Amino acid sequence: MNAWLLPGVPAVAGAALAVAGRRADRAAPALGALAAAVTVALAVAAAVTRPAGTVRLVGGFASGLAVDGLSAALAVTVAVAAFAVLLFATGDRPGAEARFTGLMLIFTAAMLLTVTATDLLLLLMGWEVMGAMSYALIGFWWRDPGRVRAGGLAFVTTRAGDLGLYAAAGFAVAGAGGLELAGLAGAARPWRDLAAAGIVLAALGKSAQLPFSFWLSRAMAGPSPVSALLHSATMVAAGAYLLLRVQPLLAATGWAATLVAWAGALTALALGLVALAQRDLKQLLAASTCAQIGFLVLAAGAAAISAGAAHLAAHAAVKSLLFLCAGAWLATLGTESLAALRGAARRDRLAGLAFAAGALSLAGIPPLALWVTKGAVLTAVTPLSLPLYGVALAASLTAAAYSARALLILWARPAPGAPAGPPRDRRAGAAPLPGSPPRLRARGISPAGRVSLAGLALGALGFGAVALPPVADAWSRLTGSPPRGEFVSPAELAVSAVLALAVLAAVAVRRHARPAPAAPPAVRHGDARPDAVRHGDARRAGRHRGDRAGAVRRGRTGGGTAGGGWQAGRYGRYGRYGRRALGEWLWLERAAVAVAWRPLPAVARALAWVDDRVIDGAVRGVARAAVAVARVSGREGEGVLDGVVRGVAGGVAWLGGVARRPQTGQAHTYFAQAAVALVVLAVVIGAVGAACSP
Amino acid sequence: MTENPLDLLPELLVLAGAVAGLLTGSFLARERQRAVAWICGLALAAALAATGLAAGRPDGMAFGAYALDPITHTARAVVAGSTLLVLVLAAPWARGNRRESELYALCLLAALGSIALAGADDLLVLVAAYLLAGVPGYALAGFARDARGTEAALKYYLMGAFLGVLMLAGVTLLYGLSGVTAYRDLAGRLGQAPAAAVGCGLVLLLAGPLTKAGAVPAQFWVPDAAQGASRPVAAFLTTVPKIGAFAALYRLAAEPFAGIEGWRVALALVAAATMTLGNLAAFRQDDARRLLAYSTIGQAGYILVPVAAGGPLSAPALLFYLAAYAVTNVGAFAVVVAVGRDRLADHAGLARRAPALALALAVCLLGLVGTPPTAVFAAKVLVIASAWESGLAWLAVLLVLNTVASLFYYLRWLTPAFRAAPAAPPGPARSLEDPGRSPRPAAGPYGVAVLAAAASVLLGVGAGLFLA
Repeated sequence: MNAWLLPGVPAVAGAALAVAGRRADRAAPALGALAAAVTVALAVAAAVTRPAGTVRLVGGFASGLAVDGLSAALAVTVAVAAFAVLLFATGDRPGAEARFTGLMLIFTAAMLLTVTATDLLLLLMGWEVMGAMSYALIGFWWRDPGRVRAGGLAFVTTRAGDLGLYAAAGFAVAGAGGLELAGLAGAARPWRDLAAAGIVLAALGKSAQLPFSFWLSRAMAGPSPVSALLHSATMVAAGAYLLLRVQPLLAATGWAATLVAWAGALTALALGLVALAQRDLKQLLAASTCAQIGFLVLAAGAAAISAGAAHLAAHAAVKSLLFLCAGAWLATLGTESLAALRGAARRDRLAGLAFAAGALSLAGIPPLALWVTKGAVLTAVTPLSLPLYGVALAASLTAAAYSARALLILWARPAPGAPAGPPRDRRAGAAPLPGSPPRLRARGISPAGRVSLAGLALGALGFGAVALPPVADAWSRLTGSPPRGEFVSPAELAVSAVLALAVLAAVAVRRHARPAPAAPPAVRHGDARPDAVRHGDARRAGRHRGDRAGAVRRGRTGGGTAGGGWQAGRYGRYGRYGRRALGEWLWLERAAVAVAWRPLPAVARALAWVDDRVIDGAVRGVARAAVAVARVSGREGEGVLDGVVRGVAGGVAWLGGVARRPQTGQAHTYFAQAAVALVVLAVVIGAVGAACSP
Repeated sequence: MTENPLDLLPELLVLAGAVAGLLTGSFLARERQRAVAWICGLALAAALAATGLAAGRPDGMAFGAYALDPITHTARAVVAGSTLLVLVLAAPWARGNRRESELYALCLLAALGSIALAGADDLLVLVAAYLLAGVPGYALAGFARDARGTEAALKYYLMGAFLGVLMLAGVTLLYGLSGVTAYRDLAGRLGQAPAAAVGCGLVLLLAGPLTKAGAVPAQFWVPDAAQGASRPVAAFLTTVPKIGAFAALYRLAAEPFAGIEGWRVALALVAAATMTLGNLAAFRQDDARRLLAYSTIGQAGYILVPVAAGGPLSAPALLFYLAAYAVTNVGAFAVVVAVGRDRLADHAGLARRAPALALALAVCLLGLVGTPPTAVFAAKVLVIASAWESGLAWLAVLLVLNTVASLFYYLRWLTPAFRAAPAAPPGPARSLEDPGRSPRPAAGPYGVAVLAAAASVLLGVGAGLFLA
């Protein structure tokens, strides 16, 4: 088959849907699912036939697509995740379905291009389109400025990282004479190190690793299927994939691999703690995405490509499953607050069971998928460094803790006094404006959505088969990693399993020991203020940080600690600060705004001041001096100065005449400045000539 | 060296088009002057075709003073192509004007001057070309005969005249020092002359091409002329003369002055100052034309980078950038012409009223930033590579910084265009502002905008082919 078909089919289908606009709204979800199904078939075919294609885009650089083992695994993962999400979304009505489906398909196509590109140029194209689509999708409900700002924040943050990739492309040309990803490791120093630094920067930004993690928190403002796709197999996975792909380069530099491994491990630990402190289901899942991608980044740093690819695929299945469940509850119950979602899993057994499968897998409970893949990553880390292993192990404990917490809250008995149904929506009859979030939905998950959830749940459960030695061998061969020792050590698996079960039990015991709380405040206010409930997520994810801080504070004082799982009063002042820091994602966004964004206008103002006062003043002074010199030279007579200087002096004298006549507008200033600049140029030429000649 | 007038066929065709247009125009009734536009357009198309033929022949020299090489060929093609686009832009606006035919003829003459600037291989030809590229431009700037147009023309003229005089002084000085004016002889003779005098001569000579290129320190006319002149003329003045000027600068840098110490440093400083100043000044502009004017200054800084670099990659980088810039800049101005209003706020809701136009605007503005896959992106990559290989790493870094900064003001324009329009547009409605009460936008500018945007993308995607 032709390699270009793989990204081409979803791209063309998506573009056609996006261009067709409102006319295609009715047919779009089904067409989107169909296109995604075709993409799955293409991805499988590509994984079997391993096509390749090249094209010359710029200069003499060959660009191309090729499907090798790693790409094959990734392409199938991406295609399947996209299919599952789009299948689920056939039951959703986000408004403007054609645009939505079209953007999702283009997004998928961009990710497929990214994972199959063999050179930096095509990779950059896919990378950029993916960033643009993420902006459009996160801000999809554009009538809410908060959501648009969330999209902008995601775009600007990942773009800031992307600059590293552009720089890396330049360094690659300088050092390796080409843009091929495979040739990067052989580049000359110092270009190799610079290219590695650029790629690492871009990958950490795209993957929302520390210190860029905050954009993922805001990215929740998009429709739930967007979160499900963006957090699983695309976007955040792209950074990790890139690091896995250029692992030889990281290893060749001698420092980048270590740096990447530590960045991944620390993100996994810090964001795992952040996830533990969230009071909102989607925020919890977002933080856990950062943490799990941290394991991928760690795998790239530890040269465990097969383990990383396995973790990526398994995590994609688990996380899209969890986000789809969260989205289903948001659509029917109108809330994402953990406190208000207490017992939600009991309403719809299939969604509840699917969520349980995903959460248990995320917790690392044997014999589920992430237990094995995380164990494989940890196995690869063990021989490298003991402190690194310790951090990673601690991170996997936090994963068990936050998964257990979410699972236990969602499966808890509903609080006494909580309303049985969703909060009433006074405007339920009116259709929402296009570009606004849809109204609450009375009916549950569509049949297609159920199929999708069941399929993903099977993936979350069944991918654990990779622990079996024959499967592990086949996977290692497929993803092209040299068989370096065993894929996953039994001892590691045993340790992980025991620890995960212990944490699960501890969380369960703690929750059980606590008295059942009163009905959570969000639902209690629900009837009085339907907007606040329904748009609560937008407010929190949206306008500004204070809102979320307010929500957290209100929750604590209002007796709404039911979902918190932590009681503030038990900790001292420092504990409270730490708790707030975790709840607000370590204040990363505030830090980024303060350090990177705020200073820019200040610098601009300072430059403007310098321009107004210093440069203009100097120009006027020089012009006056030039006039004076011209007058003096005129008196001294023609013999002293040669013709050139006379010409210049005459010109400047004429300028002086012009400068005294205000009615010529600004032309005098123009002339004076031009003349002064030319004199400066002449001085530069003279000075350089004098410096070079002697 | 040859003495065959047919070597100058493209130039002669443009000249013939201008003369024939003027003559025809003086015999035609006012409402039938449109025929002149067709004559001039055909002449430009013929010149394009002749360029295509000439590009196949080996490089050479015509009359000992006019180079026939890829630089001249590219300049011919780009100038003729962008002038053709500008004619389409200008035709609806000029219709019924008492001097309609003169507008077309002046455009052709200025375009001829720009081509001659690019081909000049002798200081005297350079001076003549400078005047030919400039004088019709002064008339064009004031063509509308309104107060702002007159001011624009006056400022453009004053700048051009002042710096032109300096340029003449430079030519005189260099001739006095070397005794020759042909580029190929200058290089050898200037070696023996006093370095300080040669440096002064160079700087004075530089003033002329820098004026036409709109680079520091001669950039002052650009914003005033772009804002004051009528919109199609602004598109012309900020595009066509620049092409010839940059080619002339490159030729000067590569042939006679390659060996002079400090010359490249000075050019690099000019490039750095131009891109920085243009981009910084564009930040707070609320007028689309003034914003585009400063953006063209910024672009001029980028285009000067390969001139200053002078490595093996420089010529392709420069020529490709010129083509990419011409297409993209004309496209952006075409949107302004089609919308018929200048304030950025007036573009609010453009995506709703005219989606194709808004898309063209997005492609052109993002193209000017250098976003893949547009043409300027490929050109910028080449420019950065050429700066890097010549050891001008700091300039490449500055270019990247400027590119990042430039995104800000382009987005200040794009964002309102893709937002919903205010409920009732203030002020009297014209053209696109109120389709109900005013005539539909002229198809010409609309088409030019879309065509230029498409060309920008195609050129970017096909960059490999064009450079091969």
